[in-house]
Amino acid sequence: MRTKRSMLILSVVMAFAVLLFTGSLIAQDEKVVVIGHAESTDSLDPARGYTQTTGIVEQAVYDTLVTFPDADASSIEPRLATAWEVSEDDLTWTFTLREGVVFSNGDPFTAADVVFSIQRLQNITGSPSFLASGIASVAADGDSTIVITLTAPDPAFLVKFANGAFSVVNSKQVMAEGGTDAEDAAETDGAEAFLNSASAGTGPYMLESWESQVQTVLVRNPNYWGDAPYFDRVIIQNLAEAATQKTALESGEIDLATDLTADQITPLEGNADIGIYRGPTTTTHFLLMNGDAEIGGPVSNPTVQLAIRYALDYEGYKTLWGGGTTPASWPPAGIFAAYGEDKAFKRDLDQAKALLAEAGYPDGFDIELSYPVFTYQGINMETNAQKIQSDLAEVGINVTLRPGELQVSLEEYRSGQQGFAYWFWGPDILDPVDSLSFLPGGKVALERALWLEEGADPAIIALRDQARVESDPDARLEIFHQIQDYLQQSGPWAPFLQNDTQVAFRANLQGYVLHPSWTLDVSLLSRAE
Amino acid sequence: MSLQVYILRRLLFVIPLLLGITVVSFLIANAVPADPINANLPQNVLNDPEIVGAFREKWGLDKPPVEQYLTYIGNLLRGDMGMSIKTRKPVIDDIRQFLPATIELSTVSIIVGLVMGVSFGVISAVRQNTIIDYVVRIFALVGVSFPVFVLALIGLSILHAQLGWVAGPGRLNFVAKAPPTVTGLFTIDSLLAGQWETFRDAVSHLVLPSLILGSYVAGIIARITRSSLLEVLRFDYMRTARSKGMREFWVIWRHGLSNAMIPVVTIIGLSYGNLLAGAVLVESIFAWPGIGRYMFRASTSQDFPAIMGVSMLIAFIYVAVNFIVDILYYFLDPRIRVA
Repeated sequence: MRTKRSMLILSVVMAFAVLLFTGSLIAQDEKVVVIGHAESTDSLDPARGYTQTTGIVEQAVYDTLVTFPDADASSIEPRLATAWEVSEDDLTWTFTLREGVVFSNGDPFTAADVVFSIQRLQNITGSPSFLASGIASVAADGDSTIVITLTAPDPAFLVKFANGAFSVVNSKQVMAEGGTDAEDAAETDGAEAFLNSASAGTGPYMLESWESQVQTVLVRNPNYWGDAPYFDRVIIQNLAEAATQKTALESGEIDLATDLTADQITPLEGNADIGIYRGPTTTTHFLLMNGDAEIGGPVSNPTVQLAIRYALDYEGYKTLWGGGTTPASWPPAGIFAAYGEDKAFKRDLDQAKALLAEAGYPDGFDIELSYPVFTYQGINMETNAQKIQSDLAEVGINVTLRPGELQVSLEEYRSGQQGFAYWFWGPDILDPVDSLSFLPGGKVALERALWLEEGADPAIIALRDQARVESDPDARLEIFHQIQDYLQQSGPWAPFLQNDTQVAFRANLQGYVLHPSWTLDVSLLSRAE
Repeated sequence: MSLQVYILRRLLFVIPLLLGITVVSFLIANAVPADPINANLPQNVLNDPEIVGAFREKWGLDKPPVEQYLTYIGNLLRGDMGMSIKTRKPVIDDIRQFLPATIELSTVSIIVGLVMGVSFGVISAVRQNTIIDYVVRIFALVGVSFPVFVLALIGLSILHAQLGWVAGPGRLNFVAKAPPTVTGLFTIDSLLAGQWETFRDAVSHLVLPSLILGSYVAGIIARITRSSLLEVLRFDYMRTARSKGMREFWVIWRHGLSNAMIPVVTIIGLSYGNLLAGAVLVESIFAWPGIGRYMFRASTSQDFPAIMGVSMLIAFIYVAVNFIVDILYYFLDPRIRVA
């Protein structure tokens, strides 16, 4: 039959086409690394972007005056500044700049570039500008000294200052491209398009191209002042789906997958071509118990809040996700002054029941738990919500799950409408002051849990006020320990899990470290030969 | 009715339709009880009333919804679709960036679907109730009812990652450079630039996603072709054609298929519209930077200008495709010309 024959021809043609077009990679002499990553940014301008992707690119193409060690945020180290000191009143910081540094285009790096970059960050009032809100003024004292004056003493100043938002850009180049640090920079700065397509920094790499939602290409900076990185070219390929990242990693198209979920990692464990990195995060999963009796109902009662802290099966959440840490309180484990897991809550059902009886609920109560339908860092919140439900059932609290679409639930949460809710928190500033948001009058406590300053225990208010300004490390340690002791006994929070995260890469890729600030430093990567 | 009047009537109908779309998409986008502030600013920034205020003012979010809508329409009439809140670029530029990838994939997919669907439909009708018919019908059923993203994941992990028969995600190999932009369609742009290697690369990356989207479309087309052709095959003129001594192939092609085509063309038009409106899941899985992904991002970040822009684009695509289908009817069915 004719039709039969044409079908046969068609299938042969199709098979041929498939064979013809399945091919090898284009040969490369350069050393190239390809990173599969779910791109999250809308700007690579350090004064505007404030997402994980921006952080990775900033770390590669720009430098800040001070920075963290390669693997953690335990201390502050010099980068473009070689030394610094602070005045007696903790208000004036003086930085000495590194000599002999040039930008990727060859222009010398001077104090004027630092002043420009900080003022531009402040005046653009973009997402990361809040980091600079405590800076009253910044001035150059000659070519190699910078003086920064704060509006109030800030013990977390250096930690904020190490954030990629404080990346130093080449002021001459950026101004030539329409950039400005003037007070009306929010309206008049026109350099974003330029900074999205090229970089003007002193870092180990330069931005060659960024095609939003497709890929970011970095090439080595020939004028870099430090040790040259191993790879000539870094390709950050946007792969929004974790499943796609896994496939691309297995086939060798990418060298590193940044967004695999825990259940995708497990089957890769036996694969000799794949290496796996596991590490703790500072992401804290917690229960919020609204302080307003009308909204929170029984959970607004401090005794019930404590009972719930005793009722959760902390070990169980770690088992569920194949690892993790039980946080003792705020701040999360790993942050300066945070208690370790040894001080964390242990489940005690008898104690929980006794407390419930004391609060007038010997038979428990019925309550709704609000949470978003969301998976973050591989942790499916639905799964945890179900476990919370079954944990609390053991002390007679009958929980009805009330999942919500992320944006909708977020709106309720941020406006304090949720009585009993499950959320997570990742600190924006890797310093314990970040967790003051959870104390009475703090942002999260005030607006979301309605834990008001008015009527709060004066002891905790006093601790909070001390913590805001104290900069002596020993004194800070003492203050934050007292805060944690307090929060374990009182307060509307039940933090129950700090999840681990995992990253998978080709086994020959070396040097991967998960950093709590910028997540990935591509200049540390190399390939075994 | 002359062709000109026919076209003019269809065109006039487009204007109120597009206006209606803006109203509906604005209402839906505003009805969601979520604030674009939350969707677009990081947690700690919400502490800063100055930044939040500047953001609201910049995007007109401090104005009442009716005023927001009227401002939008005013700008639209001047040819300005506004700026995307999420990407901070003109929506029209974003569409220009993301639409070609979708056009390229959809067009190849609809061709694959058309060839497969019509051939299978014809075979199935001609060989009604034989084993071939059953096989084709099962294929069509699977094609239609199997979730396309599952097919995509299976295809990617088996055909690509394990067997290496087809290229994987992306429009090109990750280390390859895109051809200089003329049309935004990599297959055409690479040929225009004489980059044979890039052309090969682009085509190889189209194979798997277009087979998957194509087989979905093919399922529908095959079913419609089969039932439509079965009806036509019963008509007397088919017997007449055969008794004239015409070869079976031509009987089916000239007398059968051309008369069975009207419902098939309709479904092809609709399917093409569907594909162009963005196969979000397939685009996500194949890291295909198309309009479906863009729309998804716009929706999750409450990016009103982008949502409205893409809604209008999609509406326009449907109108355009339907329009072309109507014109095809005009040629396929003489009765329309007479009426």
